[in-house]
Amino acid sequence: MEKQQFDFVGKDFAIKNVGKVTGKEVYSGDVSIPGQLYAVVLRSPYAHAEIKKVDYSEAEKMGAICIGPEDVPDYLYNERIVSIPDKTYRDRTVLPKDKVRHVGEALATCAAETEEEALAALKKIKVEWGRKWKPLVTLEEAMEDEAPPIHDYVYLGEEKVKIKNNIACTRDIEVGDMERGFEEADTVVERTFSTPRIYHLQMETKSAVCVPEADGGITVWVTSQGIHNVRILLGNIFNLPLNKVNVKRVTLGGSFGSSIQMNSITPICVALALKAKRPVKLVSTREDDLYDHAKYPLITKLKVGAKKDGTLTAAHCRVWVEIGGHNIQAYPYLGCVAGWFASLYRWKNLKYEGKAVYTNKVPTCAMQGYGNPQINFAVESLMDILAEELGMDPIELRLKNYVGKGEEFWGQGPTVRSIIRSCGVEEMLVEGAKLAEWEKRTLPLEKEGEIRRGIGVARGFHTSGTGGPNPGETIDYSGATIKINEDGSVDVLTALMDHGGGTWEAAAKIVAEVLKVPYEKVGIYNVDTRTTVFDVNTHATRGVYCGGGAVKYVAEKVKELLLNYAATLFKDLPENLELSCNHELGQAVIYPREIPENYKTLGEIAEYAHITSWGTLAYTATLRQKNCPPCFITHFVEVEVNTRTGEISIPRAVILGDSGTILNPALWEGQIIGAFSRGLGFALLEETKYDLKEGKLECKGMITDYKIPTTLEMPKLDNLLVRSAHTYEPTGPFGAKGIGEAALSSVGSAVANAIYNAIGIRFYELPITPEKVLKAWKEKEREESQERVGDKLNEY
Amino acid sequence: MMEEYPIELTINGEKIVSTAKAEESLLRFLRRHGFYEVKGGCEKGDCGTCTVIMNGKAIKSCITLAGQANGKEILTVRGLEKEESGRKLQESFVQHGAIQCGFCTAGMLMTAKAYLDENHQPNKVEIRKAISGNLCRCTGYKKIVEAIYAVAEENQKSK
Repeated sequence: MEKQQFDFVGKDFAIKNVGKVTGKEVYSGDVSIPGQLYAVVLRSPYAHAEIKKVDYSEAEKMGAICIGPEDVPDYLYNERIVSIPDKTYRDRTVLPKDKVRHVGEALATCAAETEEEALAALKKIKVEWGRKWKPLVTLEEAMEDEAPPIHDYVYLGEEKVKIKNNIACTRDIEVGDMERGFEEADTVVERTFSTPRIYHLQMETKSAVCVPEADGGITVWVTSQGIHNVRILLGNIFNLPLNKVNVKRVTLGGSFGSSIQMNSITPICVALALKAKRPVKLVSTREDDLYDHAKYPLITKLKVGAKKDGTLTAAHCRVWVEIGGHNIQAYPYLGCVAGWFASLYRWKNLKYEGKAVYTNKVPTCAMQGYGNPQINFAVESLMDILAEELGMDPIELRLKNYVGKGEEFWGQGPTVRSIIRSCGVEEMLVEGAKLAEWEKRTLPLEKEGEIRRGIGVARGFHTSGTGGPNPGETIDYSGATIKINEDGSVDVLTALMDHGGGTWEAAAKIVAEVLKVPYEKVGIYNVDTRTTVFDVNTHATRGVYCGGGAVKYVAEKVKELLLNYAATLFKDLPENLELSCNHELGQAVIYPREIPENYKTLGEIAEYAHITSWGTLAYTATLRQKNCPPCFITHFVEVEVNTRTGEISIPRAVILGDSGTILNPALWEGQIIGAFSRGLGFALLEETKYDLKEGKLECKGMITDYKIPTTLEMPKLDNLLVRSAHTYEPTGPFGAKGIGEAALSSVGSAVANAIYNAIGIRFYELPITPEKVLKAWKEKEREESQERVGDKLNEY
Repeated sequence: MMEEYPIELTINGEKIVSTAKAEESLLRFLRRHGFYEVKGGCEKGDCGTCTVIMNGKAIKSCITLAGQANGKEILTVRGLEKEESGRKLQESFVQHGAIQCGFCTAGMLMTAKAYLDENHQPNKVEIRKAISGNLCRCTGYKKIVEAIYAVAEENQKSK
């Protein structure tokens, strides 16, 4: 591990968006343009029905501007263009042309002077329906031979693909010889696991504001994790030159993956604005939002073989995901699930088979982990089951088999492979066990009483970005313009989005560290696509590693320019000059290495460059990272199970993260704790259930009946311990990797393992609700009492 | 169209004379008048992002009718900096890393302010309970509770 002294990296400063506490921060729904119209969306009451005609003439008589299926371009697209075009499935238009494929699918839209007028007009729209089909709600019914096809044809890149049995795409991978691997095994365990659809419930609902410009172009303010992809998509859909679409970066009110894709309301808002020739604002209601996106569920059938000493010999992993009415890139999802699975342990011989299936439900997409928490639940539960079969300690089994430093791992799917260069897995398991008092752990049989306490461990990882030695199936690069102003202050112009987890703060610190400029003097702002170079998205835990990496590269170029220019002033060679931060002056200073007192401040140099008309010290570039190092996480979770009510509470947790150098300590910890709360929701509370008959959400689009953790579901403050591993990532900016998605990956697994340790019941399905606990507990008691009766009878 | 009636209220110390629609929520009224700092998260009273202080009490503006605010004093997050107790909370939130996306922050600050005005010696468990009606999807709440607790502690010391 390299030791470095930093001026700014690893220190906590004020966040860059202080408007968040003063009320001055602008989110997309807060943008207001004089003369704007307000838009509302008509959504389908049916899950699967043919659209014969949408007649909005009565609505337009009331003065509203309306758009129906026939008004939108025929262009088929996928709203998520992070993958290369050849690996991108396209199955949708702005509004559906032929039929609706899930309840709540947008069908038509109205804009008027006020929202009330728009709503009144919306009620006048007449929809003539054709054939209606019984909704395909479950994976099994959707794959049946006689099931109605949800899509007949879709496009993969430019190739027309026929859809059979509603199977959207498949992915099969084999490494080594699985059959032989299982023959070599002394013990084989096999189980089936399932994780539910859940809803992102980002606090801000998706919104858009669009202004048609005099030159025929458009300006759009939009909820998005990547403004350049929105620009490209809108240009392609509406046939506009890509420089005539300007997408403004506004602060995100949470997203968790739900705006990697362009949200469905965005092109609807644009279509209205283009027709109305006036600005249009569209703010989703919570109900709209609940019917717009959900987390991919997963069913996993996992079989694992091991030798007596715990050495793994083979694994067979089969997964199924039902994706809803549209395919927001389930193909890379299946690839990533394979990667998360394959890179957790040295299976040696493995076979992976993945299937994604269309259903008549809300389209699913990434939600913090892109399949990682789902598959982790299966793998980390099965590792505990295997450890018990082998009579090994769960930590020992993990230490024996984890994929670590120097080994190959699959970044984002099988096409992105690289070597792990930094790894804190062993440190976290060993140190975590001490902090969590693992050695005091008792077995389920040894516990008694109504409330039973247990402890569980699980580990996970996520990649930092999607880069590999060769460009794979995913587009991954970022960029920035950095300029030094005439007083020595610095501006960073980048499309790099910040979810609030500290991406901006990290970028500003990296620039401060390279240019030795005080953090407060580095500005980073809400800019737009017209004034920035491309940045793919803040997804895949890539903000710090990829975005920060690009910012560091550009800052180093500016430093080179600066030293070259300063050399002409000092009449010396650039390599003889030193750049450092003079904290007393609150300025960066440059001086000949031998004579520090002969310094000039950055402000003086920049001012001189200005008054002599030399120019601006500035540079613009993009950078692709050629790795995506894994950031590791380990969760030790204690649970208390009330066997009378089935309720589960979390008295204590110890969480250890490995992010290499940590740029923002407070926000890093905040991300880990935030992910823990979302993980608890995933493990214990959340599921978007559907009514099987009509395909409607049981919560009816209201969060009254969709519970997420509040403060009260979290462990008490002082019982939540977060620690960092001591690692340094050689390929990362100042040794940094990511944390975001890693932080969630093993929460559910650790909770399930802890519940098993508490009551001796293994749950294979999330969420583990009080109802399920109580049912399982009663069955267990019944079986045990029957066994006792049996034992008694044997005595006679 | 809905009937409108006159309404007079004070928002962040400033008198507003306007009209409100019969069924208009206070949240919608505030945003219509440019108080965009008051955020709508669910408009059903579930999430707490729209919390403002009305005559000293934290209320959810989405399930309060604009008419109910007639003659009342409303404080939004923009008015917080005018009061020392408000400024302290704002600073503490920034210092403790209690903010991520920031969308729940305004409501969270208003709930905290009203609570601390009434409760001078709360412990962390009580603060947890006090803000349990405000949802935050980003932070896991720990740093928010710590930020509020730090202000409560400081208030104690300065007494």
